[in-house]
Amino acid sequence: MNERASRRLPIAVWQALLGAALLGSWQALVNAGKLDKFFFSRPSDVAARIVEWLKTGFIWPHLAVTLEEAALAFTIGAASGVVCGFGLARAPRLGALVDPYIRLLNALPRVVLAPIFLLWFGLGIWSKIALGVTVVFFIVFFNTHQGVRDVDPVVVNNARMLGASEWQLVRHVLIPSALTWVFSSLHISIGFAMIAVVVGEYLGSARGVGYLISQAEGVFDTTGVFAGMAVLSAVVLLVGWGVNRLERWLLRWKA
Amino acid sequence: MHGTESAAIRLDNVTKRFAAYTAIQGIDLEVRAGAFVSVVGPSGCGKSTLLNLAAGLIAPSEGAVFVFGQSLYGLNRRAGFMFQQDALLAWKTVLGNIAAGLRFRGVHAREAEARAREWIARVGLRGFSDAFPSQLSGGMRKRVAMAQSWIVDPDILLMDEPFSALDVHTRLRMESELLELWTASPKTVLFVTHDLEEALALADEVVVLSAGPASRVVNRYGIDLPRPRHLIDIRTEPRFADLYRHIWAQLKEEVLRSYERAS
Repeated sequence: MNERASRRLPIAVWQALLGAALLGSWQALVNAGKLDKFFFSRPSDVAARIVEWLKTGFIWPHLAVTLEEAALAFTIGAASGVVCGFGLARAPRLGALVDPYIRLLNALPRVVLAPIFLLWFGLGIWSKIALGVTVVFFIVFFNTHQGVRDVDPVVVNNARMLGASEWQLVRHVLIPSALTWVFSSLHISIGFAMIAVVVGEYLGSARGVGYLISQAEGVFDTTGVFAGMAVLSAVVLLVGWGVNRLERWLLRWKA
Repeated sequence: MHGTESAAIRLDNVTKRFAAYTAIQGIDLEVRAGAFVSVVGPSGCGKSTLLNLAAGLIAPSEGAVFVFGQSLYGLNRRAGFMFQQDALLAWKTVLGNIAAGLRFRGVHAREAEARAREWIARVGLRGFSDAFPSQLSGGMRKRVAMAQSWIVDPDILLMDEPFSALDVHTRLRMESELLELWTASPKTVLFVTHDLEEALALADEVVVLSAGPASRVVNRYGIDLPRPRHLIDIRTEPRFADLYRHIWAQLKEEVLRSYERAS
């Protein structure tokens, strides 16, 4: 344990130094007038802005909206992805029928859907959730589909010989196997859910971190843009860390 | 058929084809209830096909399979199956895996767990009930698989080279434990292996299959070695050696023939 910590310490120190060097040179270049403060802002200004946001509590409602949208987008997308992926894997003829259309839809860049969703669902949270769902659904759908087809036939036969009914086979063998694939794509799908709703907010909304960034851009407030980006990255990293822990726990049976 | 059916499994002129490939051809085989029968043959001779037919996992192309006198449709509900490959539910603990068969049959969770714990002790896995299969050695996983198939107390056990992936010493131990279990609660066992020594050491009868494709039964040998058998020493006993030489003379021809067909 100790040995590991002491071997890890240097790389963390170097990482911190690298970050400090990059931010420091950015700061220095702006201070020296080599970079235009209007276009590039300054790390110290960005930090001050974030502190101000946190102090006044200005950021929280926006962050809460973004997180709510992402959570709903993920839940709806993942649930429908699991159901459809499972259903189509268990009904191969239907699966074969709709397969080209699913591929077609998945090939579509989601950003172009944003204006349509704005028309359909309005400026509120649901147009963003819809955009997030279109991203999460396909990731989870393909993983579930693969997971069900990937089940080792020997394991299925074993369960059948042990007396499993069709439903027990689904519940004790097929679903756990499919969930393995879904869990192992959790951090990808949650990350994409965040990105999708922020893009949605950016393209038209009244609240959220994406809205903040877009507003700041509208008034050439580069400090606000960078502060919004920094907050967003920090939150995505934090969520990703939590998801990784969750994934490790859910898949603890894997060596 | 005549009310005096004493065969646990009877294959009646069974042929199994996979597309254009004939795996086994016109096999007649009878396994007496309570007997331990080993099937040996060169690799690719349709041994596993034979077991899958007896399990009802596949249906014969021609002929019929009878289980205790009744012709078999669908899964053989009176049989347990031990697979050559790892077939445990990876996401369930040792306890969950062993209890699975009881749970599938509607036994209440608490009772299933209590009985699974007895089996965990019986197969020497005490202290591992909460471990997942990936955390166990190959031999331990086989113990789980053995308890898993025995706990539901099937009348027939079908075993498809269950110990072939183990090292020699672990294998010997598992064979001994299998014989102990079998002595304690006699079941009909159909044990497929490519290893004649293993077949001889365990079985009452050894069935030799011919090289594939279109395998058939070449010969059947009664094994009159006394029981209980001590597997540690049995391979050096004179009677064992006699039987081995005798059957190997036949099996060798089939093995050589399978080489010719492969090349």
